[in-house]
Amino acid sequence: MDVLNVEYMVGLIPVLLGYLPLTLQLAGTGMVLALILACLFAVVRVLRIPVLNQLTIVFISFFRGTPLLVQLFLFYYGLPQLVSALTVIDGITATIMGLTMHFSAYMAESIRAAIVGVDRSQTEAALSIGMTNGQMMRRIVLPQATRVALPTLMNYFIDMIKATSLAFTLGVTELMGATQKEAAGSFLYFEAFIVAAVIYWIVVEMLSKLQHYLETRLNKAYSR
Amino acid sequence: MRTLLTNMLLTISLVASAPLLAQEDPLKVGMSGQYFPFTFVEQDQLKGFDVDVMKAIGEEMGRDIQFETANFSGLMGMLESGRIDTVANQITITEERKKAYIFSDPYVYDGAQVVTKEGNTEIQGVEDLKGKTVAVNLGSNFAELLRELPYSDQIDIKTYESNLERDTALGRVDAFVMDRVSASQIIKEKPLPLELAGPTFSQITNAYPFRDTEAGRELRDQVNKALSALRDKGELQTISEKWFGTDITLP
Repeated sequence: MDVLNVEYMVGLIPVLLGYLPLTLQLAGTGMVLALILACLFAVVRVLRIPVLNQLTIVFISFFRGTPLLVQLFLFYYGLPQLVSALTVIDGITATIMGLTMHFSAYMAESIRAAIVGVDRSQTEAALSIGMTNGQMMRRIVLPQATRVALPTLMNYFIDMIKATSLAFTLGVTELMGATQKEAAGSFLYFEAFIVAAVIYWIVVEMLSKLQHYLETRLNKAYSR
Repeated sequence: MRTLLTNMLLTISLVASAPLLAQEDPLKVGMSGQYFPFTFVEQDQLKGFDVDVMKAIGEEMGRDIQFETANFSGLMGMLESGRIDTVANQITITEERKKAYIFSDPYVYDGAQVVTKEGNTEIQGVEDLKGKTVAVNLGSNFAELLRELPYSDQIDIKTYESNLERDTALGRVDAFVMDRVSASQIIKEKPLPLELAGPTFSQITNAYPFRDTEAGRELRDQVNKALSALRDKGELQTISEKWFGTDITLP
Protein backbone atom coordinates (compact mmCIF):
# COMPACT_ATOMS: atom_id res chain seq x y z
CA MET A 1 0.00 0.00 0.00
CA ASP A 2 1.39 3.35 -0.99
CA VAL A 3 1.61 6.07 1.58
CA LEU A 4 -0.57 9.11 0.94
CA ASN A 5 1.52 11.80 -0.71
CA VAL A 6 0.39 14.80 1.33
CA GLU A 7 2.99 17.15 -0.12
CA TYR A 8 1.63 16.45 -3.60
CA MET A 9 -1.93 17.13 -2.43
CA VAL A 10 -1.02 20.45 -0.85
CA GLY A 11 0.78 21.50 -4.02
CA LEU A 12 -2.25 20.56 -6.09
CA ILE A 13 -4.74 22.74 -4.16
CA PRO A 14 -3.79 26.11 -5.71
CA VAL A 15 -3.50 24.53 -9.15
CA LEU A 16 -6.99 23.04 -9.04
CA LEU A 17 -8.49 26.14 -7.40
CA GLY A 18 -7.37 28.01 -10.52
CA TYR A 19 -9.97 26.05 -12.46
CA LEU A 20 -12.81 26.67 -10.01
CA PRO A 21 -13.81 30.01 -11.59
CA LEU A 22 -14.48 28.29 -14.92
CA THR A 23 -16.53 25.60 -13.18
CA LEU A 24 -18.58 28.27 -11.41
CA GLN A 25 -18.91 30.30 -14.59
CA LEU A 26 -20.31 27.29 -16.44
CA ALA A 27 -22.77 26.49 -13.66
CA GLY A 28 -23.65 30.13 -12.92
CA THR A 29 -24.37 31.05 -16.53
CA GLY A 30 -26.20 27.77 -17.04
CA MET A 31 -28.35 28.42 -13.94
CA VAL A 32 -29.38 31.97 -14.93
CA LEU A 33 -30.30 30.89 -18.47
CA ALA A 34 -32.04 27.73 -17.25
CA LEU A 35 -34.09 29.76 -14.75
CA ILE A 36 -35.28 32.15 -17.46
CA LEU A 37 -36.15 29.29 -19.78
CA ALA A 38 -37.80 27.29 -17.02
CA CYS A 39 -40.01 30.25 -15.97
CA LEU A 40 -41.15 30.69 -19.58
CA PHE A 41 -41.91 26.98 -19.86
CA ALA A 42 -43.77 26.97 -16.55
CA VAL A 43 -45.95 29.93 -17.55
CA VAL A 44 -46.72 28.31 -20.90
CA ARG A 45 -47.68 25.11 -19.15
CA VAL A 46 -49.80 26.76 -16.43
CA LEU A 47 -51.69 28.97 -18.88
CA ARG A 48 -51.90 26.08 -21.40
CA ILE A 49 -51.02 28.37 -24.31
CA PRO A 50 -51.93 26.35 -27.43
CA VAL A 51 -49.11 25.05 -29.67
CA LEU A 52 -46.42 26.40 -27.31
CA ASN A 53 -47.75 24.13 -24.60
CA GLN A 54 -47.39 21.05 -26.79
CA LEU A 55 -43.91 22.09 -27.95
CA THR A 56 -42.84 22.66 -24.35
CA ILE A 57 -44.11 19.23 -23.36
CA VAL A 58 -42.01 17.60 -26.11
CA PHE A 59 -38.94 19.69 -25.19
CA ILE A 60 -39.19 18.82 -21.51
CA SER A 61 -39.79 15.18 -22.32
CA PHE A 62 -36.67 14.99 -24.52
CA PHE A 63 -34.26 16.88 -22.28
CA ARG A 64 -35.47 15.10 -19.17
CA GLY A 65 -35.54 11.76 -20.92
CA THR A 66 -31.99 11.64 -22.25
CA PRO A 67 -28.66 11.70 -20.41
CA LEU A 68 -26.87 15.05 -20.20
CA LEU A 69 -23.72 13.48 -21.66
CA VAL A 70 -25.65 12.38 -24.77
CA GLN A 71 -26.99 15.93 -25.17
CA LEU A 72 -23.50 17.44 -24.81
CA PHE A 73 -22.10 15.10 -27.46
CA LEU A 74 -25.05 15.94 -29.74
CA PHE A 75 -24.39 19.70 -29.47
CA TYR A 76 -20.61 19.48 -29.71
CA TYR A 77 -19.80 16.61 -32.05
CA GLY A 78 -23.17 15.99 -33.71
CA LEU A 79 -24.44 19.37 -34.88
CA PRO A 80 -21.30 20.46 -36.82
CA GLN A 81 -21.60 17.26 -38.83
CA LEU A 82 -25.00 18.41 -40.12
CA VAL A 83 -24.17 22.10 -40.49
CA SER A 84 -20.44 22.76 -40.65
CA ALA A 85 -20.88 26.43 -39.64
CA LEU A 86 -21.96 25.18 -36.21
CA THR A 87 -18.30 24.54 -35.41
CA VAL A 88 -18.49 28.01 -33.81
CA ILE A 89 -20.12 26.22 -30.89
CA ASP A 90 -17.03 25.73 -28.76
CA GLY A 91 -16.77 23.44 -25.77
CA ILE A 92 -17.78 26.10 -23.25
CA THR A 93 -20.82 27.18 -25.27
CA ALA A 94 -21.90 23.59 -25.84
CA THR A 95 -21.59 22.85 -22.13
CA ILE A 96 -23.67 25.89 -21.18
CA MET A 97 -26.27 24.98 -23.84
CA GLY A 98 -26.47 21.43 -22.54
CA LEU A 99 -26.71 22.46 -18.88
CA THR A 100 -29.31 25.13 -19.68
CA MET A 101 -31.63 22.90 -21.65
CA HIS A 102 -31.21 19.82 -19.48
CA PHE A 103 -31.81 21.58 -16.19
CA SER A 104 -34.51 23.95 -17.49
CA ALA A 105 -36.56 20.86 -18.30
CA TYR A 106 -36.39 19.72 -14.68
CA MET A 107 -36.79 23.19 -13.21
CA ALA A 108 -39.83 24.01 -15.37
CA GLU A 109 -41.72 21.22 -13.70
CA SER A 110 -40.89 22.28 -10.16
CA ILE A 111 -41.69 25.93 -10.91
CA ARG A 112 -44.99 24.86 -12.47
CA ALA A 113 -45.78 22.79 -9.40
CA ALA A 114 -44.97 25.75 -7.14
CA ILE A 115 -47.26 28.07 -9.11
CA VAL A 116 -50.10 25.57 -9.17
CA GLY A 117 -49.56 24.97 -5.48
CA VAL A 118 -50.44 28.56 -4.50
CA ASP A 119 -53.85 28.38 -2.88
CA ARG A 120 -56.79 29.20 -5.16
CA SER A 121 -58.24 31.60 -2.59
CA GLN A 122 -55.16 33.81 -3.10
CA THR A 123 -55.81 34.30 -6.81
CA GLU A 124 -59.53 34.77 -6.22
CA ALA A 125 -58.83 37.43 -3.60
CA ALA A 126 -56.41 39.20 -5.92
CA LEU A 127 -58.87 39.26 -8.80
CA SER A 128 -61.73 40.34 -6.52
CA ILE A 129 -59.94 43.57 -5.61
CA GLY A 130 -59.48 44.36 -9.29
CA MET A 131 -55.93 43.20 -10.03
CA THR A 132 -55.16 42.25 -13.60
CA ASN A 133 -53.83 38.80 -14.40
CA GLY A 134 -50.29 40.19 -14.69
CA GLN A 135 -50.52 42.04 -11.36
CA MET A 136 -51.89 38.96 -9.72
CA MET A 137 -48.97 36.86 -11.01
CA ARG A 138 -46.29 39.40 -10.08
CA ARG A 139 -47.59 40.52 -6.71
CA ILE A 140 -49.43 37.53 -5.30
CA VAL A 141 -48.65 34.23 -7.00
CA LEU A 142 -44.94 34.40 -7.92
CA PRO A 143 -43.65 35.61 -4.52
CA GLN A 144 -45.42 32.73 -2.83
CA ALA A 145 -44.36 30.26 -5.49
CA THR A 146 -40.72 31.38 -5.16
CA ARG A 147 -40.71 30.41 -1.52
CA VAL A 148 -41.96 26.94 -2.37
CA ALA A 149 -39.66 26.44 -5.37
CA LEU A 150 -36.45 27.74 -3.75
CA PRO A 151 -35.22 24.54 -2.08
CA THR A 152 -35.66 22.42 -5.21
CA LEU A 153 -34.09 25.10 -7.43
CA MET A 154 -31.05 25.27 -5.17
CA ASN A 155 -30.89 21.51 -5.39
CA TYR A 156 -30.70 21.74 -9.16
CA PHE A 157 -28.01 24.39 -8.95
CA ILE A 158 -25.92 22.14 -6.75
CA ASP A 159 -26.49 19.30 -9.17
CA MET A 160 -25.48 21.56 -12.05
CA ILE A 161 -22.18 22.50 -10.42
CA LYS A 162 -21.31 18.84 -10.24
CA ALA A 163 -22.58 18.20 -13.77
CA THR A 164 -19.96 20.63 -15.13
CA SER A 165 -17.47 17.82 -14.52
CA LEU A 166 -18.68 16.35 -17.83
CA ALA A 167 -17.31 19.34 -19.74
CA PHE A 168 -13.84 17.83 -20.12
CA THR A 169 -15.29 15.28 -22.53
CA LEU A 170 -15.80 18.33 -24.79
CA GLY A 171 -12.26 19.53 -24.25
CA VAL A 172 -13.12 22.15 -21.61
CA THR A 173 -10.51 21.97 -18.87
CA GLU A 174 -12.53 22.80 -15.77
CA LEU A 175 -11.91 21.50 -12.27
CA MET A 176 -12.46 17.84 -13.13
CA GLY A 177 -10.52 18.01 -16.41
CA ALA A 178 -7.55 19.61 -14.68
CA THR A 179 -7.66 16.93 -12.01
CA GLN A 180 -7.78 14.11 -14.56
CA LYS A 181 -4.74 15.46 -16.36
CA GLU A 182 -2.76 16.01 -13.16
CA ALA A 183 -3.63 12.47 -12.00
CA ALA A 184 -2.59 10.97 -15.32
CA GLY A 185 0.75 12.78 -15.10
CA SER A 186 1.55 11.77 -11.53
CA PHE A 187 -0.33 8.45 -11.34
CA LEU A 188 -1.42 9.61 -7.88
CA TYR A 189 -5.13 9.14 -8.47
CA PHE A 190 -6.37 9.05 -4.90
CA GLU A 191 -4.53 12.21 -3.93
CA ALA A 192 -5.70 14.14 -6.98
CA PHE A 193 -9.36 13.15 -6.88
CA ILE A 194 -9.75 13.59 -3.14
CA VAL A 195 -8.51 17.19 -3.48
CA ALA A 196 -11.05 17.78 -6.27
CA ALA A 197 -13.82 16.14 -4.24
CA VAL A 198 -13.15 18.35 -1.22
CA ILE A 199 -13.18 21.50 -3.37
CA TYR A 200 -16.58 20.58 -4.84
CA TRP A 201 -17.83 19.72 -1.39
CA ILE A 202 -16.82 23.04 0.15
CA VAL A 203 -18.45 24.99 -2.68
CA VAL A 204 -21.69 23.05 -2.28
CA GLU A 205 -21.59 23.52 1.50
CA MET A 206 -21.31 27.27 1.01
CA LEU A 207 -24.34 27.18 -1.28
CA SER A 208 -26.30 25.21 1.31
CA LYS A 209 -25.57 28.01 3.79
CA LEU A 210 -26.83 30.55 1.26
CA GLN A 211 -29.96 28.47 0.75
CA HIS A 212 -30.60 28.36 4.48
CA TYR A 213 -30.23 32.14 4.71
CA LEU A 214 -32.60 32.74 1.78
CA GLU A 215 -35.17 30.34 3.20
CA THR A 216 -35.13 32.07 6.55
CA ARG A 217 -35.68 35.42 4.87
CA LEU A 218 -38.51 34.20 2.68
CA ASN A 219 -40.16 32.53 5.65
CA LYS A 220 -40.15 35.69 7.77
CA ALA A 221 -43.71 36.54 6.75
CA TYR A 222 -44.89 33.14 7.85
CA SER A 223 -43.28 32.97 11.25
CA ARG A 224 -44.78 34.62 14.24
CA MET B 1 -28.32 41.24 -8.84
CA ARG B 2 -28.50 43.36 -11.96
CA THR B 3 -24.73 43.66 -12.23
CA LEU B 4 -24.40 39.94 -11.76
CA LEU B 5 -26.78 39.44 -14.66
CA THR B 6 -25.00 41.90 -16.94
CA ASN B 7 -21.72 40.26 -16.05
CA MET B 8 -23.04 36.92 -17.03
CA LEU B 9 -24.56 38.14 -20.28
CA LEU B 10 -21.27 39.86 -21.04
CA THR B 11 -19.41 36.65 -20.38
CA ILE B 12 -21.73 34.75 -22.69
CA SER B 13 -21.35 37.24 -25.50
CA LEU B 14 -17.57 37.28 -25.06
CA VAL B 15 -17.44 33.51 -25.10
CA ALA B 16 -19.66 33.39 -28.16
CA SER B 17 -17.70 35.99 -30.09
CA ALA B 18 -14.21 34.77 -29.18
CA PRO B 19 -13.72 32.67 -32.32
CA LEU B 20 -14.64 35.66 -34.50
CA LEU B 21 -12.11 37.98 -32.89
CA ALA B 22 -9.14 35.67 -33.44
CA GLN B 23 -6.61 37.04 -35.89
CA GLU B 24 -3.73 35.17 -37.52
CA ASP B 25 -4.99 31.86 -36.23
CA PRO B 26 -2.54 29.76 -34.28
CA LEU B 27 -2.19 26.12 -35.25
CA LYS B 28 -4.64 24.23 -33.05
CA VAL B 29 -3.22 20.95 -31.87
CA GLY B 30 -5.28 18.42 -29.95
CA MET B 31 -3.84 16.09 -27.32
CA SER B 32 -5.14 14.15 -24.33
CA GLY B 33 -2.73 15.51 -21.73
CA GLN B 34 -3.01 12.05 -20.19
CA TYR B 35 -0.39 9.97 -21.98
CA PHE B 36 2.82 10.03 -19.99
CA PRO B 37 5.50 10.88 -21.10
CA PHE B 38 4.19 12.04 -24.48
CA THR B 39 1.63 14.50 -23.17
CA PHE B 40 0.88 15.05 -19.50
CA VAL B 41 0.33 17.77 -16.93
CA GLU B 42 2.39 18.58 -13.87
CA GLN B 43 1.52 21.54 -11.67
CA ASP B 44 -0.65 22.97 -14.43
CA GLN B 45 2.17 22.72 -16.99
CA LEU B 46 1.48 20.77 -20.18
CA LYS B 47 4.61 18.77 -20.89
CA GLY B 48 5.93 15.80 -22.80
CA PHE B 49 7.62 14.61 -25.94
CA ASP B 50 4.68 15.51 -28.17
CA VAL B 51 4.47 18.99 -26.67
CA ASP B 52 8.16 19.65 -27.35
CA VAL B 53 8.12 18.30 -30.90
CA MET B 54 5.02 20.29 -31.78
CA LYS B 55 6.51 23.49 -30.34
CA ALA B 56 9.64 22.91 -32.42
CA ILE B 57 7.49 22.40 -35.52
CA GLY B 58 5.63 25.62 -34.76
CA GLU B 59 8.91 27.52 -34.45
CA GLU B 60 10.10 26.04 -37.72
CA MET B 61 6.84 27.05 -39.44
CA GLY B 62 6.80 30.46 -37.78
CA ARG B 63 3.36 29.81 -36.35
CA ASP B 64 2.00 29.86 -32.82
CA ILE B 65 0.84 26.55 -31.46
CA GLN B 66 -2.31 26.39 -29.38
CA PHE B 67 -2.75 23.11 -27.52
CA GLU B 68 -6.29 21.87 -26.90
CA THR B 69 -6.66 19.06 -24.38
CA ALA B 70 -9.56 16.62 -24.34
CA ASN B 71 -10.08 12.98 -23.58
CA PHE B 72 -8.36 10.84 -26.21
CA SER B 73 -11.58 9.34 -27.56
CA GLY B 74 -12.87 12.82 -28.38
CA LEU B 75 -9.78 14.07 -30.25
CA MET B 76 -10.59 12.56 -33.64
CA GLY B 77 -14.12 13.98 -33.40
CA MET B 78 -12.62 17.43 -32.77
CA LEU B 79 -10.37 17.03 -35.81
CA GLU B 80 -13.31 15.84 -37.89
CA SER B 81 -15.50 18.79 -36.87
CA GLY B 82 -12.73 21.31 -37.58
CA ARG B 83 -12.14 22.41 -34.00
CA ILE B 84 -8.48 21.42 -34.16
CA ASP B 85 -6.05 21.18 -37.09
CA THR B 86 -4.19 18.03 -36.10
CA VAL B 87 -3.63 15.63 -33.22
CA ALA B 88 -0.25 15.23 -31.50
CA ASN B 89 -0.91 12.16 -29.39
CA GLN B 90 1.09 9.30 -30.93
CA ILE B 91 -1.55 8.57 -33.55
CA THR B 92 -0.61 5.31 -35.28
CA ILE B 93 -1.00 5.15 -39.04
CA THR B 94 -3.53 2.45 -39.87
CA GLU B 95 -5.38 1.44 -43.05
CA GLU B 96 -8.66 2.41 -41.48
CA ARG B 97 -7.50 5.86 -40.41
CA LYS B 98 -5.91 6.44 -43.81
CA LYS B 99 -9.37 6.20 -45.36
CA ALA B 100 -10.56 9.15 -43.27
CA TYR B 101 -7.44 11.29 -42.83
CA ILE B 102 -4.15 12.12 -44.48
CA PHE B 103 -0.96 11.68 -42.45
CA SER B 104 2.32 13.53 -42.13
CA ASP B 105 5.59 11.63 -42.38
CA PRO B 106 6.05 9.34 -39.36
CA TYR B 107 7.96 10.89 -36.47
CA VAL B 108 7.92 7.98 -34.00
CA TYR B 109 8.69 4.30 -34.59
CA ASP B 110 7.62 2.03 -31.80
CA GLY B 111 6.23 -1.42 -30.99
CA ALA B 112 3.18 -2.78 -29.21
CA GLN B 113 4.02 -4.10 -25.76
CA VAL B 114 2.22 -6.33 -23.27
CA VAL B 115 2.50 -5.08 -19.68
CA THR B 116 1.48 -7.04 -16.58
CA LYS B 117 1.48 -6.62 -12.85
CA GLU B 118 4.90 -7.20 -11.33
CA GLY B 119 5.46 -10.86 -10.51
CA ASN B 120 3.02 -12.21 -13.06
CA THR B 121 4.76 -15.36 -14.40
CA GLU B 122 1.78 -16.60 -16.34
CA ILE B 123 1.95 -13.98 -19.08
CA GLN B 124 5.34 -13.88 -20.80
CA GLY B 125 4.24 -12.36 -24.07
CA VAL B 126 1.38 -11.77 -26.44
CA GLU B 127 0.82 -15.51 -27.04
CA ASP B 128 -0.09 -15.93 -23.35
CA LEU B 129 -3.02 -13.53 -23.53
CA LYS B 130 -5.39 -16.37 -24.49
CA GLY B 131 -8.24 -16.46 -22.00
CA LYS B 132 -7.08 -13.27 -20.30
CA THR B 133 -8.62 -9.85 -19.79
CA VAL B 134 -6.55 -7.18 -21.51
CA ALA B 135 -6.95 -3.41 -21.21
CA VAL B 136 -6.43 -0.95 -24.06
CA ASN B 137 -7.15 2.76 -24.42
CA LEU B 138 -10.46 3.65 -26.05
CA GLY B 139 -9.94 4.83 -29.62
CA SER B 140 -6.33 3.62 -29.71
CA ASN B 141 -5.02 1.17 -32.27
CA PHE B 142 -4.02 -1.53 -29.79
CA ALA B 143 -7.47 -3.12 -29.68
CA GLU B 144 -7.22 -3.55 -33.44
CA LEU B 145 -3.80 -5.22 -33.10
CA LEU B 146 -5.22 -7.67 -30.57
CA ARG B 147 -8.18 -8.46 -32.82
CA GLU B 148 -5.80 -9.37 -35.63
CA LEU B 149 -4.31 -12.20 -33.55
CA PRO B 150 -5.48 -15.70 -34.61
CA TYR B 151 -6.76 -16.42 -31.09
CA SER B 152 -8.36 -13.01 -30.64
CA ASP B 153 -11.77 -14.51 -29.86
CA GLN B 154 -10.27 -15.87 -26.63
CA ILE B 155 -9.07 -12.48 -25.42
CA ASP B 156 -11.40 -10.34 -23.37
CA ILE B 157 -10.56 -6.79 -24.48
CA LYS B 158 -11.53 -4.00 -22.08
CA THR B 159 -11.39 -0.42 -23.31
CA TYR B 160 -10.43 2.40 -20.97
CA GLU B 161 -10.76 6.16 -21.19
CA SER B 162 -7.70 6.48 -18.94
CA ASN B 163 -6.06 4.95 -15.86
CA LEU B 164 -5.56 1.46 -17.33
CA GLU B 165 -2.06 1.27 -15.82
CA ARG B 166 -3.52 1.62 -12.33
CA ASP B 167 -6.19 -1.00 -12.99
CA THR B 168 -3.55 -3.48 -14.17
CA ALA B 169 -1.47 -2.82 -11.07
CA LEU B 170 -4.59 -3.40 -8.97
CA GLY B 171 -5.18 -6.72 -10.73
CA ARG B 172 -8.58 -5.76 -12.17
CA VAL B 173 -7.28 -6.82 -15.59
CA ASP B 174 -4.50 -9.31 -16.39
CA ALA B 175 -2.50 -7.04 -18.67
CA PHE B 176 -2.60 -3.94 -20.82
CA VAL B 177 -1.20 -3.26 -24.25
CA MET B 178 0.50 0.02 -25.03
CA ASP B 179 3.50 1.25 -26.97
CA ARG B 180 6.83 0.01 -25.63
CA VAL B 181 8.38 3.43 -25.16
CA SER B 182 5.83 4.93 -22.82
CA ALA B 183 5.29 1.62 -21.02
CA SER B 184 8.99 1.40 -20.14
CA GLN B 185 8.98 5.03 -19.10
CA ILE B 186 5.98 4.57 -16.79
CA ILE B 187 7.61 1.54 -15.16
CA LYS B 188 10.86 3.42 -14.68
CA GLU B 189 9.48 6.67 -13.29
CA LYS B 190 6.14 6.00 -11.67
CA PRO B 191 5.28 4.16 -8.46
CA LEU B 192 3.28 1.34 -10.05
CA PRO B 193 4.20 -2.37 -9.70
CA LEU B 194 4.26 -3.24 -13.40
CA GLU B 195 6.60 -5.06 -15.76
CA LEU B 196 7.06 -5.62 -19.47
CA ALA B 197 5.95 -9.07 -20.62
CA GLY B 198 8.03 -10.33 -23.52
CA PRO B 199 9.19 -8.47 -26.62
CA THR B 200 7.10 -6.09 -28.73
CA PHE B 201 4.71 -7.85 -31.08
CA SER B 202 3.87 -5.36 -33.78
CA GLN B 203 5.66 -2.41 -35.35
CA ILE B 204 3.79 0.87 -35.13
CA THR B 205 4.53 4.13 -36.86
CA ASN B 206 3.04 7.33 -35.53
CA ALA B 207 2.33 10.57 -37.35
CA TYR B 208 0.09 13.64 -37.40
CA PRO B 209 -3.36 13.23 -38.99
CA PHE B 210 -4.98 16.03 -41.00
CA ARG B 211 -8.35 16.49 -42.67
CA ASP B 212 -8.33 15.41 -46.30
CA THR B 213 -9.14 18.87 -47.67
CA GLU B 214 -7.10 21.35 -49.65
CA ALA B 215 -6.22 23.29 -46.51
CA GLY B 216 -5.40 20.04 -44.71
CA ARG B 217 -3.06 18.88 -47.47
CA GLU B 218 -1.31 22.23 -47.52
CA LEU B 219 -0.84 22.11 -43.76
CA ARG B 220 0.48 18.56 -43.94
CA ASP B 221 3.11 19.63 -46.50
CA GLN B 222 4.21 22.49 -44.25
CA VAL B 223 4.46 20.17 -41.25
CA ASN B 224 6.43 17.63 -43.29
CA LYS B 225 8.86 20.33 -44.33
CA ALA B 226 9.32 21.41 -40.73
CA LEU B 227 9.72 17.79 -39.58
CA SER B 228 12.45 17.03 -42.07
CA ALA B 229 14.25 20.28 -41.20
CA LEU B 230 14.15 19.32 -37.51
CA ARG B 231 15.39 15.85 -38.41
CA ASP B 232 18.32 17.28 -40.40
CA LYS B 233 19.26 19.64 -37.59
CA GLY B 234 19.23 16.74 -35.12
CA GLU B 235 16.62 18.50 -33.03
CA LEU B 236 14.13 15.65 -33.27
CA GLN B 237 16.78 13.31 -31.90
CA THR B 238 17.63 15.74 -29.09
CA ILE B 239 14.00 15.93 -27.96
CA SER B 240 13.66 12.15 -28.08
CA GLU B 241 16.81 11.62 -26.03
CA LYS B 242 15.66 14.16 -23.49
CA TRP B 243 12.50 12.14 -22.79
CA PHE B 244 13.52 8.56 -23.51
CA GLY B 245 17.31 8.41 -23.47
CA THR B 246 17.11 6.91 -26.94
CA ASP B 247 16.10 7.99 -30.44
CA ILE B 248 12.59 6.78 -31.19
CA THR B 249 12.19 8.99 -34.25
CA LEU B 250 14.10 6.59 -36.52
CA PRO B 251 12.81 3.27 -37.85
